Amino acid sequence: MSVFMDLNIIAISDKKKLQNIIETAAHLGYSTVAINYVLEPQQKKQQIPKPLSVSELCEKLPIVQGKARPIKVLNRLTVVATDASHFRPSNEYKNFDILAVFPKTEKLFHAACMTYDVDIISIAATEKQPFHCKRSPINGAIERGVFFELSYTAAIRDSTMKKYTIANAINLVDVCKGKNVIMASGAETPLELRGPYDITNLGLVFGLSEGDAKAAVSTNCRSAVLHGETRMTALGIIHMKKKSQPPSEQPEEETPALKKAKTESL
Amino acid sequence: MVRLKARYLLCEVCVSDSSSLRLLEEKAIYQAVKAAVIKAHGEYGAALFSIGSTVTYLNAYTGVVILRFRKAHFQLLWSALPFISSIWSQGQKVRCFFNCIHVGGTIRTCQKFLVRYGRQQLCRMLPHCKTEAEKQEVRRAVMSCSLKKFRVDDDDDDDDEEKEET
Repeated sequence: MSVFMDLNIIAISDKKKLQNIIETAAHLGYSTVAINYVLEPQQKKQQIPKPLSVSELCEKLPIVQGKARPIKVLNRLTVVATDASHFRPSNEYKNFDILAVFPKTEKLFHAACMTYDVDIISIAATEKQPFHCKRSPINGAIERGVFFELSYTAAIRDSTMKKYTIANAINLVDVCKGKNVIMASGAETPLELRGPYDITNLGLVFGLSEGDAKAAVSTNCRSAVLHGETRMTALGIIHMKKKSQPPSEQPEEETPALKKAKTESL
Repeated sequence: MVRLKARYLLCEVCVSDSSSLRLLEEKAIYQAVKAAVIKAHGEYGAALFSIGSTVTYLNAYTGVVILRFRKAHFQLLWSALPFISSIWSQGQKVRCFFNCIHVGGTIRTCQKFLVRYGRQQLCRMLPHCKTEAEKQEVRRAVMSCSLKKFRVDDDDDDDDEEKEET
């Protein structure tokens, strides 16, 4: 049995509701969820949101269905980019486990695929994608290990959205041949979540093959999370941490405080 | 003789408020699934749905449903299930969603899975018990279904009704 993940649960200010969603996700068998904070820089003066720490959110995490471990909660930031100036790597991005970008124009999509240091590229679900997915940027993204996200909640809410979601999904899957696609919910209420097996089957409607559809809720999500982890380190090989030193000692500049080799592959 | 092969989808109807599960009826679920299939796949879907699709089992206490589809096109019909967000039953709208937990070739495999799943649910319930009496009740239920399983091994026993105790 594989590990299922849902990497898109919209962050709502109501803590009680968020807990409720996490509980439902655990009941459905998701062992990792990511709480998604959306940043829309075109609206003036919007600050990068501060992620809630997991312990702050709920003191006791629910146990995953069929497993003995509690559910894992990550934080994710989605930057909605309509202009090249919107996505600028800053230190505040480092508070989040996963970084996603939602490009609105073809130029930005190209840049997101080829150069931006992100883990996930979101594909529009509520409108027709205004540009055509070209093969070269998508191949570049696959090579760099960036994932494309399809969210299905909009399709459940409304039938017009469903048309757009399916059209955009098939458009993408045709070009990337089912590789590097993840499916996530984007749910705002517990009743908008769906079980992992249902989503796997829904992947068939989106033009994915059975194996790719299963990977889209399990292994690809895991790769995306690991990709997010490597963003904090030097190519996933070296991880540096500041050691808290007693104040009397002189800090030594030549040797780093703590070097830890990580064996994760990219 | 060649038998007609079917696929049985063991689904759980998830609602926010468990008391509304009592309202569910087989007919209402059939209508809801039919409407969803027609909406998702049009007349073609309706035609496929009209042959050999039934609601085989419904437990209105735990919200467990077994849907039966023909094997040849059950994936197409299944893909309509995620788009159900409410069921009209007894004149009331029950907001819910279907969570498929098992796909089996016979009712028997579904039943076996359901017994195991029901026991798992009871174990999950144990840490949430508030009072000692509740705890005892759940423990008794866990013991009863595991012992029965041990004794008769694979005989028919369908005892996940105890779940509604707490």
